[in-house]
Amino acid sequence: MVTTKSRTSTKAAKNSPDVPARHLPNKTFVIDNGAYTMKAGYACDPSSSPDEALSNCISIPNAIVKTRDNRIWTGTQLGSHVTDWNEAVFRRPVEKGYVVNWEAEREIWDQTFFEEKATARNKQLRIAHPEETTLVLTEAPNNLPVLQRNTDEMVMEEWGFGGPTLNAWNEVHSLFGDPLTTDSDIMPKDCLLVVDSGYSHTTVTPVYKGQPIQRAIRRLDVGGKLLTNYLKEIVSMRQYNMVDETYIMNEVKEAVCFVSNDFKSDMERTWKANRKREEAQSVVVDYVLPDPNAHKTGFMRPHDPLLHAKKKKGALSGLSAEVLSEDVLVLGNERFTVPELLFTPSDIGMQQAGIPDMILQSLSVLPPGLHAAFLANVLVVGGNSCITGFMERLENDLRGIASSECVVRVRRAEDPLRFTWLGGSRFASNREELGKLAITREEYQEYGSGWAGRRFAGMI
Amino acid sequence: MFRVELLANSSSHATPGYTYVADRGFDPAKAAMAPALGRKRGIHNAGKGGDISSRRANAIIRHLAELDRENQRDVQIPVPARPAKEAGARVSRTKTTSNVRRILVSQKTFRNHLDDEEAAIAAGGGGLSIPVGAAAAAPVIPSRAKAVVAAAAASRRSSTPASTAAARKKRPSTVAAATATSTPTPAPSQPETTDAEVEDDTAEPKHKLIKTEHDNDPLLRSYAPTMPSERIMDRLLAEPALSYNASRAGPPISTQLPRAFCCMCGYWGKIRCKSCHLRTCGLDCYKVHEDSRCGAFF
Repeated sequence: MVTTKSRTSTKAAKNSPDVPARHLPNKTFVIDNGAYTMKAGYACDPSSSPDEALSNCISIPNAIVKTRDNRIWTGTQLGSHVTDWNEAVFRRPVEKGYVVNWEAEREIWDQTFFEEKATARNKQLRIAHPEETTLVLTEAPNNLPVLQRNTDEMVMEEWGFGGPTLNAWNEVHSLFGDPLTTDSDIMPKDCLLVVDSGYSHTTVTPVYKGQPIQRAIRRLDVGGKLLTNYLKEIVSMRQYNMVDETYIMNEVKEAVCFVSNDFKSDMERTWKANRKREEAQSVVVDYVLPDPNAHKTGFMRPHDPLLHAKKKKGALSGLSAEVLSEDVLVLGNERFTVPELLFTPSDIGMQQAGIPDMILQSLSVLPPGLHAAFLANVLVVGGNSCITGFMERLENDLRGIASSECVVRVRRAEDPLRFTWLGGSRFASNREELGKLAITREEYQEYGSGWAGRRFAGMI
Repeated sequence: MFRVELLANSSSHATPGYTYVADRGFDPAKAAMAPALGRKRGIHNAGKGGDISSRRANAIIRHLAELDRENQRDVQIPVPARPAKEAGARVSRTKTTSNVRRILVSQKTFRNHLDDEEAAIAAGGGGLSIPVGAAAAAPVIPSRAKAVVAAAAASRRSSTPASTAAARKKRPSTVAAATATSTPTPAPSQPETTDAEVEDDTAEPKHKLIKTEHDNDPLLRSYAPTMPSERIMDRLLAEPALSYNASRAGPPISTQLPRAFCCMCGYWGKIRCKSCHLRTCGLDCYKVHEDSRCGAFF
């Protein structure tokens, strides 16, 4: 957490002999360690544009995967080595958004960043000398102190990052994502409400002048994982058994799902009695499942109501053998009832508020003078915001429940997945602020992990 | 009632596999992570989760826990073994410290850690994050009934239509400044606010309000809550983080009944099965349900 200026100065005075010895390495490596993918790369110098900076950033799946043929792949290998995703099982070191299992995480980090042989292919991710590198690592808000301590200890003692290591106790994107939202009408300045909808959960973080207001951070335990699992469950019940096909269902979800802006009428349109009518065609789609043996990937296409009948006739209907052999999922109301959970978790009986309600709950513990300012600057990041219609729905719902005097503006970051990383990179390029927050290796060795934890919590 | 409490002392060691948790009765937030509630205890707690029966509540909790899983089956994926040469190279680079060894060996899941933390908080010690009581307390609807306009937003809004051109002009320069110097947000905010004020002054003559004799009528005066002072904001920012459970979003504000869906096809759930209380949309789906799926689970 950013300590106030007076505090840092008193601290500097106290440890004045230490201050000149404090040495910040020039290179800064930024890792946004997400549960699904981690976004990593070296931070750029401040003058470069966002696009240039993002070209340094690479997304790596943060998982160890066992495929159907019992082979195990890690991190970067997944993109190049795995073609058959059927029945792949995942081990993810990040649980609920926090790094829990360091055994697996160390393996992935080693493979991705440290080992010479493994990193030969993408050199820009190689950290040759951790001692001469500053690490900026992001962390979801409201982490458990134990896990924070583990992270500090691992980062400092196993790899020994030389420079100040920032265990971004508060998400860095909340700190410095703001100056980049140039697509909105007015530059968000002091107040920014960050909605981060990721793989494990969705959080709302009000940011005041670059610092998160801790008491107002709220979390909804619905994320991409739950949506995928829900879709998997529905489809398994109604059509094929897809229970073991997490990866494939995730692809189906990304291709097919949308957030409905008129839930009731969409529901009527997909009713089975209305299926054959013209208007249903716009919602119901077919998804052709991938066939790894024939090296075909899955894709979506408009629904063909007669396909089933044609297939029964077999070759007589004039269909090619290719079409006859493919497996098709017909997706109707599944397309929008699944992402609907983000807005009404009560649909599966969850006793939690949807995103718009959660935003108001978060604001309710803040002084009323700030409400309008926060509502006018809502920034959305995270993978779920890529679902079609998400932004419109969020803005509409928020407009509906917010006070009519307030301006409600909801904007999505240009690159919602890597925006957090970009924030971290910009933060890292600002050496003055970085120096204020970070701790150095010497300091860590001097004071230990308990001190580090208190310092990141802003207590020292 | 029998109860075990873990006293916080420095020598207590984190052991994987089990943990003492203070029993504080049924907590739906926690129960979502612990689906293994006793059947009878669930019945005793009937009525706590709104108007749904306890069995239904347990079924929901179980369902949510299922949706939270990474893989359908419990599988152990070992970390791939690496050739001895590489491993040797790594050992030479850094020596593994005891802390690191302890962390690596730990097979605790998030659930274990959370239970530990709860026990610590319940024992009074707490970790770093002691929940702030006021923050977790009942959520209030912010500004829905009352007409609330922040002073800042009002000025911003009023300046928007008239001075969009000015704003448009202003924006590239501020962007350029921000990118060029890449100073943190706090620093440029000061000059920017003064900018806005100046603009407001210049923009004011364009849309002057029509003066009437009712301007000073106390009934017509609009209320705008003032911006909190710097001192309040500093204090807000200095607050420690909430605990994991305290930061969970509360139940929805709206009083609408939750929607029900057909368990077969996903359409509206209009009729309810008389034996298992699951809903279906019509007789077609109900027949399928009755024939094959109705297990009268609860």
